[in-house]
This record gives sequence, structure tokens and C-alpha cells, in this order.
Amino acid sequence: MYEFLILNALVNGIIIGVLYSLIGCSLNVLYGVLRVVNFAHGEFIIVGSFFGYVLFTTLGIHPLLSVPIAAIVFFVVGYGLYYVLLPRLAQADDPETSSFLMMYGVSLMLGAGMLMIFEADTRTLDFRFSPMSIHIGTLYISTARLVALGVNLVVVGLLTWFLYFTLYGKAFRAVIMNREAVQIIGINIHRISAAAFGLAAGLAGITGVMISLVFPAFSPFSGPDYTLIGFIVIVLGGLGHPIGAIVGGVIFGLTEQLSIVFLPQAMAPIVGFSILILVVFLHPRGLFGKKLLR
Amino acid sequence: MPISAASEDQVAIIRNRIWYGLLFVLTVWLALVPVIGGNLPFYFYLMLWITMASAFNIISGFTGYMPFGYVAFYGIGAFTTAILTKKLGVSVYFSIPVAGLAGVILSLLFAKTLKLSGIYFAIVSLALSIILRLVITNMPEEITGGSFGISLGSRAEPVKSFYFMLVTLLAALSTAAWLARSRLGKALKAIRDDSEAAAVMGINVPRARLLAWMIAAFFPAICGGIEAWYTNIVDTETAFDILITAKTIIYSIAGGLGTVTGPIVGTVIMVVLDDLIWQQFPLLNLFLLGLVIVLLIQFMPRGIVGTMMRVWPVLRRYIL
Repeated sequence: MYEFLILNALVNGIIIGVLYSLIGCSLNVLYGVLRVVNFAHGEFIIVGSFFGYVLFTTLGIHPLLSVPIAAIVFFVVGYGLYYVLLPRLAQADDPETSSFLMMYGVSLMLGAGMLMIFEADTRTLDFRFSPMSIHIGTLYISTARLVALGVNLVVVGLLTWFLYFTLYGKAFRAVIMNREAVQIIGINIHRISAAAFGLAAGLAGITGVMISLVFPAFSPFSGPDYTLIGFIVIVLGGLGHPIGAIVGGVIFGLTEQLSIVFLPQAMAPIVGFSILILVVFLHPRGLFGKKLLR
Repeated sequence: MPISAASEDQVAIIRNRIWYGLLFVLTVWLALVPVIGGNLPFYFYLMLWITMASAFNIISGFTGYMPFGYVAFYGIGAFTTAILTKKLGVSVYFSIPVAGLAGVILSLLFAKTLKLSGIYFAIVSLALSIILRLVITNMPEEITGGSFGISLGSRAEPVKSFYFMLVTLLAALSTAAWLARSRLGKALKAIRDDSEAAAVMGINVPRARLLAWMIAAFFPAICGGIEAWYTNIVDTETAFDILITAKTIIYSIAGGLGTVTGPIVGTVIMVVLDDLIWQQFPLLNLFLLGLVIVLLIQFMPRGIVGTMMRVWPVLRRYIL
């Protein structure tokens, strides 16, 4: 009996893990390039979910089609949002903590805003793929989840290609390595930061649509859960390292799903957090990152 | 800007007078509230938030750490009080100080996290507080009441707990004021600014910040206990609510981290604002709170008192 559950957990763990990786990647882009710890990332994602939901319920747009739409819209909004929120922070005493707190304020605003517009009910994206689930061996896997897995892998692949095989991606990685040096070379730090913010926002939007496919429901209150997951993933993978987030996400997803098999549902998050704390103390770099002890 | 020719002693005298004057006004005003039938809940929670903000300031403004799981101390205090009072029948006057002790013990358990730098510390602190909440929620119902929480029966005493809170407030403010002038306080500020340089100067960095951490954990635990006494109910959702940490952080930043009067000023203004907003726009409350945070960080990152001190540096000598 247990083998079936474990097999199920493994498959779902990978699917959910890749989704978590996507969260981690977008959060990492923000942290790496901007040194901004985005406490509102979960809310960005849920706004993406609502975006897909609204597109589907009012215009009947297929969720897969709302992925590129969300990506573009969120990129543009993110690009502008950078200029509104962040340039002034660079002059603060402690830009990292200040941005941390400011994004918390943004998360409150977004959460409250969604609450006011959409009310507190949880929503479901009522799109049915046909067939509903795919039968492999003894397992039934929801088609929506497999589709989400596919899309996520494509997005992660595109992101990796962008970062490691294009000139713009190289500029991003340069900023991640050394912000000051990049300005000396002559790259316009504001424009690349705004682009990074837009990219992260776009990824969050895509993630949001995917979440509505993978998880049964979402509500304006779901944001902080995903923010926390994002942090765990990037700490696991190493702050600022895009590939690390992918590995960290899969590991965390697998651990979460497997622990649900063995532990009561309410205790399962403890495993994730404990991993976070263990990694921070025993191997602060995470899997790929740089040392960060005081 | 010409600095006044007053000598150091005269400055110290004036500074003390201002501080004690402020304390006196505060005490008299608050002590009279139950007597003249003022808005008890408003002032009770005002005192609670000022205490929380002041204690938080000790670990963040003075020492440079931002524990995003600060509510853990508040929650453990609330639950310790509830368990001792309800399940073991201990008098509240005993269980609340013990709750404070529980907070200190918890801080010792978490002491290892002080090695972490800024963001890591904040996130781990948050994770630990959530773990604590989950552990307490999942403990057997006979001990911690599961997800229903514990009710203290009919032991709620609004007026007595009000005065207890007032005493706690004064203790917290006095501690912060003492810290600002003491060697330990200066050591903490040195650690905040550059811990390696502080160590080179001979400051025992781990010991100093551990002391600050313990002090900063004591007061929220007491606050949790007194609030349990005041409202009669303790449950994991409200006792470990992340909004408690958030409000504490915002109120102390609004006033100005690193100053003693900052948390007082910040809390008073923000609580009054919050109350007004709540009365007029109940739905917009959270949204406006977020907006205030964003505007505050953008335009007044040093808080009200902090910004004032920047504009008129002479104030630094006179305001604690």
C-alpha cells in the first residue's frame, strides 16, 4: 500500500517541485540582480492566478494562452513598478532591510486589494482538460498537472537559455556578481534593474496561472504561503543562483510530498522549515551560493 | 548649525528632565484612564504596542537584527500564562512573570540564530515562529487546547491587567533608556554598525547581543501574558499572528529605530491613525497600513524621530 503512496508522492513531488523551482527562480532574479528580498512575491503570484482566472471566466481564454499574456502584461507592469518603488531605496542606510519591509507593505496592499476586488472566497480555475487524468502503470496523474509540468520545464529552460546563452542574460549575471563593477563598465543599472523586476514579475504571473492548474484552489490569503516557499527554495539552492533554485525547488517539492505521506497534514510544513533551518546552519551557502554568516 | 554652548552636564540635566517629564506625563495620563472612564481597550493596546515596539527596538534599533518571528515570544508568553493559570491554577501575578521567563528561555533556545546575517536571520526567525505555532497547535488538547485555544475562565480583570500593563510599559521604557546610556548599549550600537570592528575593540560580541536578545524576548512574553489576562482567550491563530510582528516592526520604524522615544512616538501616531482608519474605512484598513509602510520606507526610512534628528542634529543631545 505504501509503495503506491510513495510513488504518487514522487511523481507529484517532481511536478510541484518544478513549480516551486519557478517561484524560486523569479525570486532569485530579484534578489540576485536587485538585492531586493521580495516579501510580496506570493502576492504577485496570486495576482497572476487571479489574472488567469479573470481572463478565463470573462473572456473564455484558455489558461495556456493566458500564460504568454500574463508574462507580457506582468513584465510591463513590473518594469514600471521598479521605477516607482526602488530607485529611492538605494540611498537608504540599509537597502536590503528597507526593501524587505517595503515589499511587506506592498504585499499587504496587494492582498488587501485582491480582497476588496474579489472577496475572500477561494477560487478555482474550472478548466477541464480532456482526458482529466492520464493513466501510467498504477498511477493516475492529473492532466492539468502534467501540462503545468511541461510548461514549467519550458519556462525554466527558456530562462536558463536566456541567462546563460544570450548577451542580455550575461549582463544580468554580471549584475548578480558585482553591481558596482557593472556600472563602471557602462551598463545602465536602472534599466537592467527594471528589466529584472519585469522579468521576475512576468515569471510570477506565469507561475500564478500554473498554480491555478496544479493546486485545487487559491484565495487572496494564499500569498504568504508561496512567499515562504520561495524563500525556502532559494535558501536551499543558494541566494542569487538561478540554477540552484531549480534544484532546491525539486528537493523541497519532493520532501514536502513525501512527508505528507508519513506525517499528519498539519505537521508537514514543519519538515520544510526544518530543512531550511538545517541548511542555513550547516551549509549556509545552500547548494550553489556564497557564504552568508555574520 | 551652531551648537549651543551648554556644557555636557547641563545638556545631561536637560536631557534627563525631558525624559522623566515625558515618562511622568505618560504615567499620569494612562493611570487616570480607568479612573475617569476613558477608552480602556484603546489605551490598553496602545501601551501594549509601545512596549512591544520598545522591546523590539532593543534587538533591532540598538543591535541591528530584525527578527521577523518576534511574535514567537509573544505567543509563548500567552500560552505559558494560560497553561499555568488555567490548568495548574496558579495566580496570574505569578504566571505572568514566569511567562516572561519562558520568553527568555525561548530566546536562549533560538540564540544560535544570532550568528546569521540580516535576511537569513529574518527568514529563519519567521520559520521558527511558524514551527512553534504548528507544534503548539498539534500538541495534545489537554495541554494546549489544540486549535481552540485555552480560555482563562472568568479571571479576566480589565482594570488590574491595565495597571499591570502600565507597570510593564514603564519597565520596558526604563530598560530602553538605561540601555541607551549604558556601556552595554554602546557596545550594541558598535556591534550594529560593524561587528568585526567591535570585536577588535574588545567587545564580547556574542555575549552582548545575547543579552540584548534575552531582554528583547522578555517583554513581548509578558505582553502576551497580560493580554491573555485581559481578553481571557489564548489561541494559536491570534497568539502567533504574523501581523503582530509586522505591526511591531512598523510602529518602531515609524518612530525611529535606535532611539528611545522613537517607538513611543511612532506607536502613538500609528495606533491613532489605525484607529481612525478602522472607524472610517474598515475594509481599507489593511490596504492603508501597507500603503503607510511603503510611504514610510520611501520617504522617512529613519522614522519620525530619526528624521527629525537628521534635520536638527542638536536634538540628538536632548532627546534620548
